[in-house]
Amino acid sequence: MKKVRKVVANIKLFLDYRELLWNLANREITQRYKQSVLGYAWVILNPLFQLIVMSFVFDIVLRIPSLGVPFILFLSAALLPWNLFTQSLVSSSNVLVSNSNLITKIYFPREILVYSTIIAKMVDFFFSCLVLVFFLFIFKIPVTVYYLWLPVIFVVQLFFMTGISLVVSALNLFYRDIQYLLNLVLLLWMYITPIMYPIEIIPEKYRFIMSLNPMAVIVNAYRQVLLSGKNPNLYSLGVAALVSFIVFSFGFILFKKLEGEFADYV
Amino acid sequence: MFNIAIQAENLTKRYSLQRQRTFKEFLPALFGGQDTHVKFKALSHLDFILEKGESLGILGKNGSGKSTLLKIIAGVTKPSDGRITVNGRVAPLIELGAGFHPELTGRENVYLNGSILGIKHKEMEMLYPEIVKFAELEEFMDQPIKHYSSGMYMRLAFAVAVAETPDILLVDEILAVGDQKYQKKCLTRMTEFKKNGSTMIMVSHNPEQVKKYCNKGLVLHQGKQLFFGEIEKATAVYEEMMDRAS
Repeated sequence: MKKVRKVVANIKLFLDYRELLWNLANREITQRYKQSVLGYAWVILNPLFQLIVMSFVFDIVLRIPSLGVPFILFLSAALLPWNLFTQSLVSSSNVLVSNSNLITKIYFPREILVYSTIIAKMVDFFFSCLVLVFFLFIFKIPVTVYYLWLPVIFVVQLFFMTGISLVVSALNLFYRDIQYLLNLVLLLWMYITPIMYPIEIIPEKYRFIMSLNPMAVIVNAYRQVLLSGKNPNLYSLGVAALVSFIVFSFGFILFKKLEGEFADYV
Repeated sequence: MFNIAIQAENLTKRYSLQRQRTFKEFLPALFGGQDTHVKFKALSHLDFILEKGESLGILGKNGSGKSTLLKIIAGVTKPSDGRITVNGRVAPLIELGAGFHPELTGRENVYLNGSILGIKHKEMEMLYPEIVKFAELEEFMDQPIKHYSSGMYMRLAFAVAVAETPDILLVDEILAVGDQKYQKKCLTRMTEFKKNGSTMIMVSHNPEQVKKYCNKGLVLHQGKQLFFGEIEKATAVYEEMMDRAS
């Protein structure tokens, strides 16, 4: 009963501060490209060039199979959500430190800072998805009813991402090593996630390792729904959803435990 | 009971300063049995009650814990021991413009800063003209504030912070906002708040100033409460302490 009340109180707090959340997200988005000529176009140009170069390397040079769809399409269905994941984590790791002036001066729930930076990255992500939509269109991939899975998979990703972001942001406040460690972990994590290759080329007996990696499940689910026109593997997705929820709860509780000390350490 | 604005009971704040900032320094220290933390008492065992509408002057030398106390009242940091009860919306005039971003325009910053202080967008729309007028920045609101002079910057920050009558007003030192004429305007605004029933807490080195605006005084020395009570006595205690020190 006490726990339920605590959850309700936290949700209420979140709603009370939603305007701050939007304003902070908005600040991050508008300030970033203010002095650049191409401005927000970078959000699309960046992944586009990344896709072109990586497609050249993995398709034409290394000849990785891509399940019968053009490689660049195959790659973008996984790489764009992965970019959202890494960018959210990297910017979260810094968000408390770079807003130290706010943290030491004014009270508000600190998780708002983490959420706002994730929202800003989500906006970037949705714009970058125009690239994917463009490829889907020119390669004439049919729109199917399975697309309805996309928001479900996205929510699973969001919980997983936010949970880790909360942990990383809080710990980086105490030890700045976390941000460097994070870069290393993300680089390695990218290789053990089927982004640049299909999960099917992993030998059957090793494939279970992938089901322990929620990002592998998520990325693969996007691909199955978007490109193969079928249901995602519901068992794996269910496990990933459960893991994501646990990660989020753990992250949130840890963050709230440490929150009172942020202003003393930053 | 309903008249209490702020109540401190046995309020204590310890900082544990970590000596090592990175793993590289921390791990050897941890296993080598060295101290990893240095405990430091910023405030110890404060007890006071401030009723609504009263104004408190906090007197003390540098490092006596004045700012720490303000931070605890503002909810920025938590007490390590004891309890603090704060009833009402706190407007911290501690470091003005903390949430301002140089690349955003004056208008954008006003809305952003308002939401940090907990003012809703709709209310802000009503307060906005008043803020601009008070800051005397009518022509500059659509410019990025990195082009503002520091005086303009402070004026805008102050105007946002005092846009709404707060229940509790925290003032650190005296505001160095703009020229003399503008400072006077700020002080007038603060006196208005007092008349409207706001509780004010002011931190200062200067007993004269505190006497002018406050009716209660709290004297701190190295984190300990030397005196709490009528302002006249508080300033006397403070001056005696300063005399002894010199």
